[in-house]
Amino acid sequence: MNNRLILSITIPVLMITLLFVMSLAITVGAANINWQTVWQIVIYELPYIHQWIDSSWSDSTETIVLDIRMPRVILAAIVGAALALAGAIYQGVLRNPLADPFILGVSSGASFGAALVFAFGLQVVWLGKFTLPVVAFMFGFGTLMVVYFLARIGQKVRMETIILAGVVVQAFIGACLSLVMALANEQLQTIVFWMMGSLTLTDWSYNQIVLPIILICALIALFYSRELNMLGLGEEVAHHSGVSVERTRFYLLILASIMTGAAVSVSGAIGFVGLVVPHIIRLIVGADYRLILPLSIFGGAIFLVGADTLARVLMAPRELPLGIITAFLGAPFFAYLLRRTKREYF
Amino acid sequence: MITIENVSKQVENKWLLNNVSFKVDEGACIGLIGPNGAGKSTLMKLLSGLEEPTSGTVKVLGKEAGKWSVKKLAQKVSVLTQDGLAPYPMTVYDAVLMGRYPHLSFFQKEGKEDYKRVENVLSLTGLESFRDQMLDTLSGGERQRVAIAKAMVQEPKVLLLDEPTSYLDIGYQVNVLNLVKEWQRRDQLTVLMVLHDLNLAAQYCDQLILLNNGEVIKQGTSEDIIEAETLQTVYQATPEIIRHPKSNIPQILL
Repeated sequence: MNNRLILSITIPVLMITLLFVMSLAITVGAANINWQTVWQIVIYELPYIHQWIDSSWSDSTETIVLDIRMPRVILAAIVGAALALAGAIYQGVLRNPLADPFILGVSSGASFGAALVFAFGLQVVWLGKFTLPVVAFMFGFGTLMVVYFLARIGQKVRMETIILAGVVVQAFIGACLSLVMALANEQLQTIVFWMMGSLTLTDWSYNQIVLPIILICALIALFYSRELNMLGLGEEVAHHSGVSVERTRFYLLILASIMTGAAVSVSGAIGFVGLVVPHIIRLIVGADYRLILPLSIFGGAIFLVGADTLARVLMAPRELPLGIITAFLGAPFFAYLLRRTKREYF
Repeated sequence: MITIENVSKQVENKWLLNNVSFKVDEGACIGLIGPNGAGKSTLMKLLSGLEEPTSGTVKVLGKEAGKWSVKKLAQKVSVLTQDGLAPYPMTVYDAVLMGRYPHLSFFQKEGKEDYKRVENVLSLTGLESFRDQMLDTLSGGERQRVAIAKAMVQEPKVLLLDEPTSYLDIGYQVNVLNLVKEWQRRDQLTVLMVLHDLNLAAQYCDQLILLNNGEVIKQGTSEDIIEAETLQTVYQATPEIIRHPKSNIPQILL
C-alpha cells in the first residue's frame, strides 16, 4: 500500500478518534455534562452558526466546558502531539530506540528551572504567571545547548557522544535539582508534583502561547521526514545522497527540543508518551518517517487526552499526576506489542 | 573529470596520503589498488567531500570537492561503499527512489519523471521482483545491487566505488561489477573504484593506480601493474602471474 493511501485512511480515522476522545474528556468530571450539550456549546461559539442553536444550557455549564475543561483538553492534545513527535524525531536522529524527548536533558533542565521558581518564589514582573513556563523553557533549551556543544568535536557530533553527554549533564543537573529540593522545605510537594506532570494549571492563555510554537516546529519537522529516512540507511549513505548530515541533525534536534521545552514548560515532565507512541506507530506502519511523523502527532494527542481524563476521574475528586497514568497505560501496552511482534522493527 | 594535485592528508601526526597526483578522464574506468593502509579509502573520502585534504587540491568536474554543496556534489557524484545500505526496514523501491533526493528541492516531492526513472533502473538492474521487499530481509549481495540501482537513479557523472565487492560471494562480485561496467559503457560514466581483488581489478578497469604508504607507486594498464616484481615490493608476497585463457589479461595466483 503506498504512503498516500495509508495517510488518507489513517489521518481521518485518527482525527475522528481524537475528536471523540476530546469530547468524551470534556463530558466527564465532577459535573457530568452530556456530549450533545458539549458540542452545542462548542458549535454555538462558531460565527454565523449560533442562530441555529437553542442555547438552553446554564451559564455555569458553559463556563465549565469553555473555560475549564476545553482549554485543558486542548492543551493535553497539544502537549501529547509535541512529545510524541519530538520522541519520533529523537529516535530517528539518534538512531536509538531508547531515545525519548528527555534523553538530552531538556526535561531535567526545565525541571531544575521550575524547581528554582517554586523554591525561591521567583517571579519576573513583566512575565507574570508565565514566569514558570518561560524559566522552565529557557533552562530546558539551555541544557540541550550545553549537551550539544559538549558532544561536538571539531565540526562533527557523534551520536554516541551526544547520548553520553546527555547522561553526564542530566546527572549533574539531577544533583542540582536534588539540592534545590532539599532546601525547598514547604515547596517540596509542589516541585515533586510538577515533575510528575500535570495539566491542572490551565487556561486559554497557555494554549495561545504554546500552540503556535509547537505548530510551526511540527510543520517544519514534517518536511524533514525524507531526510530522517535517509539517515536510517546510514550516515555516509545519507551524505553521499546529498543530505548535509550535521546540519540536518542539528536543525531536527533544535526543532524537537523546542517542542519538548514548550510542552514541558506548561505540563511538567510527562514521561512515556514520547517513547511509547512513536514505537507503537512504528510497529503498526513500519519504519517510514513520512508515516511515523504525522501519525505520531495524532497518536500522542489521543494518548495524552485519554491519560489526562483518567488522571482526573480515576480517584476523583483527587487528581493523579499525569506521568503515573502515562506509564501505567503505556508500559503494559508496549510490552504486549513487543511480545506480539516477531520481527525486528527498528 | 577528476584532478588530484599534490594531495596530502595528515591525521594525528600520520600521513595517510603524501603528495598524490593523478587525473581521471571522462568515461574512464580506473582501479585504485594497494595494500591495507595505502590511502585508497582516504582518497575516496576526499573525493566524496567527507573530508578535506591537508594540502593540495581535489577537483571534481573542475571544482574542489569540498567547495561543492553536499547536494550539488551528490548530483554529480555517486558513491558505493563496502557496507552499502544499512539493513533498514524500508522497501527496495523507496530506497532506490531516494537516489532522486539531490535533484529535488527541500519542499519538492518526487514527481512522475522520478518514478519513471526508478522503474527504468529497477528493470535494468533486475530488481523488479524485489521492489516491495524490505532491505532488512535481503542478503548483502542483493542490498549491494539495490545500492547500485539507487546510485543509477542519482544520474551522476562520476561513480566512486570503495571496495563494493568485499563482503560478496564470487557470483555477486561478478554480478555487481558487470552492472557497473554496463552502466559505465551505456552512459559514458567516469568510474573510480577501490578493489582489493587484483584479478577483478585487472579484468574490469582500463587503467590501474597502485598506491602504497600514501604514495602513487605506479600508474598504467594491467599489463604494467600486474607483474611479479612490482607486486612483490608493494605486497611483500610472491604471486605467480598467468594469463587469463580467454581474455589474455594478466591474473595472479598465490
